[in-house]
Amino acid sequence: MNRFFAIRQTCWDWRAAGNFMFGGTGSALMLMIAIASYPDTPSLPLGLVALAFIGLGLFMVWLEIGKPWRFLHVYFHPQTSWMTREASVAALLFPIAFVGVIFKIPLLITLAGLLGLLFLYCQARILLASKGIPSWRESTTLPLIISTGLVEGTSLLLLSYIFSDSIQGWAIYLLLVLLAVRGQSWIKYRQQLTTAKAPKQTLSVLNSINTLVLWPGNILPFILVGTCLLLSNFTNIFITIASVLAILSGWHMKFTIITRAAQQQGYSVGKLKRGRPVIKPPVKRKPERFVL
Amino acid sequence: MTRYVMIADLNRCVGCQTCTAACKHTNATAPGVMWRKVIDVEWGEYPDVERLFMPVGCQHCSDPPCMHVCPSTATGQREDGIVTIDYDLCIGCSYCVVACPYQARYKVDKPHFAYGDTPTETEAKRYDEKRIGVAQKCTFCSDRVDAGVEKGLTPGVDPDASPGCVNACIADALHFGDIEDENSNVSELLAENSWFQMHEELGTETGFYYLWDQEPPEETESE
Amino acid sequence: MQTKPKETCPDIKKVSTYCYQCVNGPDLLTVEVIDGVATKVEPNFDLKGEHPADGKICVKPFGLVQKLYNPHRLKKPMKRTNPKKGRNEDPGWVEIEWNEALDIVAEKMNAARAKGIQDENGNPRLAFTTGGAATPFKYMGSFPALLFAWGPFDQSLGAGGTVKCYHAEHMFGELWHRAFTILPDTPRCEYIISFGNNIDASGGVTGVRRHADARKRGMKRIQFEPHLSITGANATEWVPIKTKTDSAVLFSMVHVLLHEHSIDELDYEFLRDRTASAYLVGPNGFYLRDPESKKPLLWDNKSNKAVPYDTPDTDPAIVGNFTVTNAVEIGADDENWVYENIQADTGLEKAKQLVAERTPEWASEISDVPAETIRRVTNEYLSHAHIGETETIDGREIPFRPVATVLGKSVNNGWGGYECVWAHTMMQVLVGALEVSGGMLGSTTHLAGDTDWDRTLTVDIGEDGFMSHTFTPTSKEEWNDAPINRHAQDCLTPMAGKNMGAQLFGSTTLAWLRLQERAAESWKKPNPPDVWFVYKCNPAISFSETDKMNDIMATFPFIAAFAYTFDETNHYADVLMPEATDLESDQVLRIGGGHYFENHWESEGWALRQAVVPPQNDAKDFSWIANELARRTGLLEAYNSVINGAGCGIPLQGEGYDYSLDITKENSQEEIWDAVCKAATHDLTEGKEVHGLDWFREHGYKTRPYSRLNWYLHPLIEDKKLRYELPYQERYFRMGKELANRLHETGVHWWDRQLAEYQPLPIWHDLNKLWDELIEKNHNVKAADYPYWLLTGRSMQYAWGANVGIQMMKEVADNVFGHDGIIMNAGKAEELGINDGDEIEVTSPIASTRGIARLRQGVRPDTIVMIAQFGQWKTPFAKDLKRTGVNKLVPMNQDYIDGGGSSIDGTKVYITRVGAA
Repeated sequence: MNRFFAIRQTCWDWRAAGNFMFGGTGSALMLMIAIASYPDTPSLPLGLVALAFIGLGLFMVWLEIGKPWRFLHVYFHPQTSWMTREASVAALLFPIAFVGVIFKIPLLITLAGLLGLLFLYCQARILLASKGIPSWRESTTLPLIISTGLVEGTSLLLLSYIFSDSIQGWAIYLLLVLLAVRGQSWIKYRQQLTTAKAPKQTLSVLNSINTLVLWPGNILPFILVGTCLLLSNFTNIFITIASVLAILSGWHMKFTIITRAAQQQGYSVGKLKRGRPVIKPPVKRKPERFVL
Repeated sequence: MTRYVMIADLNRCVGCQTCTAACKHTNATAPGVMWRKVIDVEWGEYPDVERLFMPVGCQHCSDPPCMHVCPSTATGQREDGIVTIDYDLCIGCSYCVVACPYQARYKVDKPHFAYGDTPTETEAKRYDEKRIGVAQKCTFCSDRVDAGVEKGLTPGVDPDASPGCVNACIADALHFGDIEDENSNVSELLAENSWFQMHEELGTETGFYYLWDQEPPEETESE
Repeated sequence: MQTKPKETCPDIKKVSTYCYQCVNGPDLLTVEVIDGVATKVEPNFDLKGEHPADGKICVKPFGLVQKLYNPHRLKKPMKRTNPKKGRNEDPGWVEIEWNEALDIVAEKMNAARAKGIQDENGNPRLAFTTGGAATPFKYMGSFPALLFAWGPFDQSLGAGGTVKCYHAEHMFGELWHRAFTILPDTPRCEYIISFGNNIDASGGVTGVRRHADARKRGMKRIQFEPHLSITGANATEWVPIKTKTDSAVLFSMVHVLLHEHSIDELDYEFLRDRTASAYLVGPNGFYLRDPESKKPLLWDNKSNKAVPYDTPDTDPAIVGNFTVTNAVEIGADDENWVYENIQADTGLEKAKQLVAERTPEWASEISDVPAETIRRVTNEYLSHAHIGETETIDGREIPFRPVATVLGKSVNNGWGGYECVWAHTMMQVLVGALEVSGGMLGSTTHLAGDTDWDRTLTVDIGEDGFMSHTFTPTSKEEWNDAPINRHAQDCLTPMAGKNMGAQLFGSTTLAWLRLQERAAESWKKPNPPDVWFVYKCNPAISFSETDKMNDIMATFPFIAAFAYTFDETNHYADVLMPEATDLESDQVLRIGGGHYFENHWESEGWALRQAVVPPQNDAKDFSWIANELARRTGLLEAYNSVINGAGCGIPLQGEGYDYSLDITKENSQEEIWDAVCKAATHDLTEGKEVHGLDWFREHGYKTRPYSRLNWYLHPLIEDKKLRYELPYQERYFRMGKELANRLHETGVHWWDRQLAEYQPLPIWHDLNKLWDELIEKNHNVKAADYPYWLLTGRSMQYAWGANVGIQMMKEVADNVFGHDGIIMNAGKAEELGINDGDEIEVTSPIASTRGIARLRQGVRPDTIVMIAQFGQWKTPFAKDLKRTGVNKLVPMNQDYIDGGGSSIDGTKVYITRVGAA
């Protein structure tokens, strides 16, 4: 393994990171409120909060793109682009969720919840398809991005329960499980990057936030939530602290992965071959098909 | 069919950056934008050190990650393998930039010139508004290739049908041609020499080959 | 931003011209011009197959378009309004018209002339300085003709020459084999031993191409150097030799050939017939000569007696000690000794004795190079020499010896330069690989004759069986005791000779030191020139100990600077004249043949540099400026006569043609170059195809075939029965003795250190020890406090381009490691707690500078490197880069000047991390 000039990408900055941070939270919240309200519909403010988070994320991306008034071109490549797919899901999610919460149509809310999950999945796949960034493209990025989104969404849901004084036990159990999954995903993610020999700088940045991600981000909320469950006492302050920590930790982790830990692939010298190469024709010679 | 590829002979390259400068002239790229450049790397530990110059830029992959991720279909691919960008379609989302494992793509958000905000006469003459806010990269000088082919010239052989960097290379290190023609310059060079493709493990099937005669170093990383 | 409206049908044309920003040119190119705006540069593809690199051009000409339109260019001539000069003084520049500028300059010239063309010290009142190894002369149109029409002018105020050149190689190379610089016959060479020769950065387009082809062919290159250079990167092997110990390794290589191999394994025939190996040396160090003819004697094995060297049908002994019955020895100032039955060694025997103790084991201790490496490389070299083989070129059979040894800067100049050039040339001589196919060749001449385009014209029969050579006389009758210029090259450095270019090879360091009253203590301090012209150089940045350079320039009464932008030297000027740059001016030059480093063609001819667009702003073509000044100084007729002579590259009147100009009138630049074009093509085609300027404007160049046989001196040397003046340097030895006599007779003892170098065989010096001694002696410091060598390295992108203010050059050059900082060994840096990117301070015995540490493995732990020449504080764009260079730190001191007048481009330093406790 040799690697030269694996410098940090700077094209996607805090604005792009914002989409993963807030879009991830919002889409997961949409899923969670759909589950929580099933078979009914959620309150209007909660639905709007979920959409606002997604909208904020997309707005931040819009701020980043070079040709903002051409944003509709984003829909041109559903065959292979996860960005087109994410935008398409968002385009469906917004009207469906909006109509669902305004007119209290349970079917649309269920659909919006599923679209929220799909949106989150698209976000993870966006990163996975970024072959130029070793810290994004490995398979463990997928569970990490999804699990953190779900943690953030669930936490936000819990905060809303606390705000409306209507806490529900299943959500606390779910957060406990999701925190464990996210913690595990984080550990696996770092292990995979180490095995895959990601750029040193990437590993060092991730290492530098490891304690923060694990302890105040996952273990402490886990203990707080676990304590509540053990004592069967849903102390609002414990849940509030756990939820806020879980959300902030998720955002911090994603912000770091998108920005500071996004070293590029770099250049390298490859293994030598001899003889005439086997020529693979350009993929465009074949009609483009839908690739998942 | 035709598949255009480029070859960089690392046994010849001296890192002089003539190709870098020629590319800037040919394609009128903005300051800081180098569709072609030569990196200067070393590995090993004193006194057992290897220093190598390596031309880099868009590798015109057969299976280009940038094209797959592009949401606007601005990044495309021609039948001859040249990966293209349609500046009128591109939204400047930079997804291709992070998808490219070859650090080949640039985006310039606002006009800037060699000496500040005011262009020199050449820059004013050659300024292309279309390039602002969109992704850009090496085109294999497809405009030159196409114009040359139209005139009956052979890309990689006739300067008027060849990329600017290849034309300029003083070490005869850069070559261009049709790899699907078994008798072409590039086919012969690959048949006669040992070579590698960068990041082969990523499955991009590059249209860029490096002639080289030493096995790669293990466990080296430098910034 | 405003852009020009797109025109429906742009006027696009391609204009042929050339780039000669460095000595490796001229390189022909084309410039695309769209609607009158130069847009891009391309190689001239028409030269494919004819030019050794198929008409390619290097990176520098790509900077010319930006150079043309650089907004920092001076728009009009300017004059100083603040009479106080100093780095911190604002010159108070105001724009003026050309008329006023030329009037001011002409008035100063006329005033100087009226006082006498030389001052009371005999020094010219007018001085001219340029850089770029004098290639700027080839940019100055007819201006050089004005200088020569003027009369004596001083060129001793160098911009870096003798420190930043191959000085000892120039001096001895020309003496031995007409080699101002040397090159391997790369297209055939198999094995190169290089000591710091950075050809891939310094050899231009043809150098790079020929070496790339050779590598592909399997040529091996062993690179001895403290810093893994651009060239080292592609070498077969990098040997990180300790700085300034090259001579030890070279001596031990000569030792291996002479002491670990029998003479029969070397090129015996070559040594016997083509060198002075067999000449017998007397007890006082001069050749034993025939009492009658005074010809040097050699021992004839056939007749078993000493005979004059040119006696036919002999079998000379090249090694050994012989008893000579009757001989005389002629020393300095005609001192002579008559001998009977005297014992004498041959010249080669003396060389053998010189290196007897210089074993690889000895060299290894000094240089850090393992003895095994030295032995292996030398033996590989010998085995690649193909001794006995020949090649036939154009029907002529010449030896084929495909091996070469080459040296880099600061190896072949300054103290140790003589040792190195002698030893590496001996490496060639011992295997017969000098001036033959595949071996080591000379490139061009500047000292042996004024025919730099064809060195073969200088091969004449001289004394003692050697080529003739011009030295400045050292005899009592002819030696000049009053220096004619400020560095006294005519008094102190006889090897510089007396040809047109000789001034450039005297010790330019000494000129500046004398102006500062820091050298030549028994001589009067010279006056600064009344009028100093500077063009395309920046000595305030490019010479050594630059802080003092600045101070002394501030004392010059009148400086007329041809100025592209403001810079650190013209900050002290009185008048600035913006001249037309590369793409705005006309000149006709020779191309091809054999030229400088690796620029050997199989064709030769002439090319035109032309204005591809009209000059920007109010810049003027040099020939126009020359005309105007010639008229204003009343020199028009003399100036025109020089042009008619060969002032523009070729006589305008010759056999069968006369294109000479009317000397009484002002001829336009078009008229001048039209005549030159016609004379040149007439000469080239023997009158069959005569073309004027208009033809050249369209076609760019005209060539004819040039035989490769002309690349080698061997056929000429053989035909004229000449010998290369090696291994023994009797003439040089005598010259040194005579010079010592002359100087001592006039009370000069401050040149004794330099005089000691005039040995018939170079004495090896421990240069690291010498440096330590000299630092302690001159700077009142402890040498041990300065443990690192600071060296510089060639930047192909910047060298000689006067392009440090060009944004694009910075952009592309920054891809080459080290341009933005100070290169140091990563392991050593770790030891010192320095990280990549940290600011460090580098201190020499005279000054400090700061820069960013850039860490690499490919540099010795005891050496640091600063690429190119930065440190600008005035040049627009460059001053904002905040980069540093060696020049501020390299001391100027008479003790560092070698016998030939040169010193090295480096110094001992220490390093501290800025902010470290």
